[in-house]
Amino acid sequence: MRLNFKHIAPFLVTGENKASRWLSYVGLAIGVLLLLCSVQMYININDLLQNKNPKKDGYDYISITKAITNENMAEDHSFSKEDIAELKKQPLIDDATGLVANKFLVKATGGGAVPFTADMFLEAIDENFIDTVPPDFSWKEGQDLIPVIISSDYLELYNTVFAPSRDLPQVSLKSISSIIVQLDFSGNSGNQSFRGNIVAVSDRINSVLVPKNFLEWANQQYGNSAKTNPSRIFIKTKDANSPELLRFLQQKNYHINKDKTKFGRVKQVLQIIVSGLAGFGVLVILLAMVLFSFYLQLMIAKSKENLQLLLTIGYSPQWLSKTVAKKWIPVYVTVIIITVLITALLHWSFQHFVMSGREELSPFIHWSVIAIAFVLLLLSIAVNYRLIKKLLYKL
Amino acid sequence: MQISLQQVAPTFIETGNFSSSQVWNSTIVFNTGEKIQIVAPSGSGKTSLIHFLYGLRKDYSGSIAFNEKKIYGFNAEDFASYRQKHISIVFQDLRLFAEQTVLQNLEVKRQLDPFHTENKIAAMTRRLGIENKLNNLCKTCSYGEQQRIAIIRSLQQPFDFLFLDEPFSHLDDDNQKIAMELIEEEAGLRKASIILADLRPVEFFKADKTLML
Repeated sequence: MRLNFKHIAPFLVTGENKASRWLSYVGLAIGVLLLLCSVQMYININDLLQNKNPKKDGYDYISITKAITNENMAEDHSFSKEDIAELKKQPLIDDATGLVANKFLVKATGGGAVPFTADMFLEAIDENFIDTVPPDFSWKEGQDLIPVIISSDYLELYNTVFAPSRDLPQVSLKSISSIIVQLDFSGNSGNQSFRGNIVAVSDRINSVLVPKNFLEWANQQYGNSAKTNPSRIFIKTKDANSPELLRFLQQKNYHINKDKTKFGRVKQVLQIIVSGLAGFGVLVILLAMVLFSFYLQLMIAKSKENLQLLLTIGYSPQWLSKTVAKKWIPVYVTVIIITVLITALLHWSFQHFVMSGREELSPFIHWSVIAIAFVLLLLSIAVNYRLIKKLLYKL
Repeated sequence: MQISLQQVAPTFIETGNFSSSQVWNSTIVFNTGEKIQIVAPSGSGKTSLIHFLYGLRKDYSGSIAFNEKKIYGFNAEDFASYRQKHISIVFQDLRLFAEQTVLQNLEVKRQLDPFHTENKIAAMTRRLGIENKLNNLCKTCSYGEQQRIAIIRSLQQPFDFLFLDEPFSHLDDDNQKIAMELIEEEAGLRKASIILADLRPVEFFKADKTLML
């Protein structure tokens, strides 16, 4: 039989101070669990609170309106061409465009599947400001079917408030494109009905969007008002939370739709908390390893005479280091495997019970969590081996 | 295989005391197969010499070389290999594991680089009259029994040189002769050299060379 730990086990005092040994195992497990859960939570927060597009090209898109106060309620709150030009000139604003709104009456009827009728508004904006523009978002004169993009907030509002209150069916993201809504326009030159088909959902623009050329045509055909200036502007900026930008907009008495930026803030705060927990986890791991190193030092000190004699009668210090260090590999492997499994179970439970199986979240833990666990395992084994080798060579 | 000593002298003994020594400050070569007796009165550095040769101490001047490689420069791994395969020893102070059994003491050496099977241990202990002690803790054995254990331990590995430092001090004449026979047989198996250091010449050790320390 090849020489192994069993052969030298009787010569080592390993049973001493069992309590500190087990405490260090438990401490290591807790630290690793904290770290792995924090990493997975960080990823979860990212997936759940992802503004899928706004920062895709590195920009924030926010809508601004002119602030309406008691004093200026009766005035015109639309943005003139000069207002828009001034916005574009600002160093912190990369682009600005107005939302064109309908200037005629619009009624929407759900039809057989979703029976409701409501007065509607329609808006249009430059396509490069929209986050999701499917290829069929276009209109030709004479076309009866109008592609519509609605805000994800409106869909959520419909599903959680509107539908339950009127006993209407809820609509999923996937099934929304199968619904055809009847749009009844009435204005100057009479009435006309169109069919509206929701082709996409936007996280960025909180509106009901139709192709710009269609709305401009419809406004001309049915428009009651002579007003051509937009009441809402979307600006493209690198940082929606920039104090200088916010100061400028406040100075101009412009009101900002802060929802999306608040969203980003919430995500930021949560991620900071989770990073703090991860840091704490690392600290606990370090403490556990320090405690374990005390145990090792004690073991080697108590076994010093025997170890010295083993070296005297010809045992190789390198072999002794490797063999003694190997004894603890099963412990480390067990701790890591258990913590990975617990993390996976906690994550699955979170996804299944707390998040009700939301699609944005995978039920399985992220590969990076397993990679981190593996790296921790290798590190523990390496640090352990180096410490034992150092202690043995000192003898 | 050979071990050569070039002007070796312990640094803690005055140089003046070496004039009559045939070992200190001399050039000596030990070859495999030779039987060397070193007679050393108390205080002449007999155990120090053995410790220098085994690599346990370095407080000497001159050089000791194993196959022309100076052992002074050996690192821990070199010494491990040297002691596993080329040299074996019976220490004057025995250096057994007191809290382990006789069998454990013998096995821990044998399994390092087995020259014999486990059965051979039983045969050797029978020959030296300590077969009943195999499962006893070493510390419970008498000094004479421990000496026999140390001798058997030294014969469990391959070696080119066997160093013996007063190995029979607590054995009666009969046991001394039996132990010597066993040692000579084992050295013969390996074509190894025996270097026996004692206070006075050992009658039944037919040495090729006797050196005064």
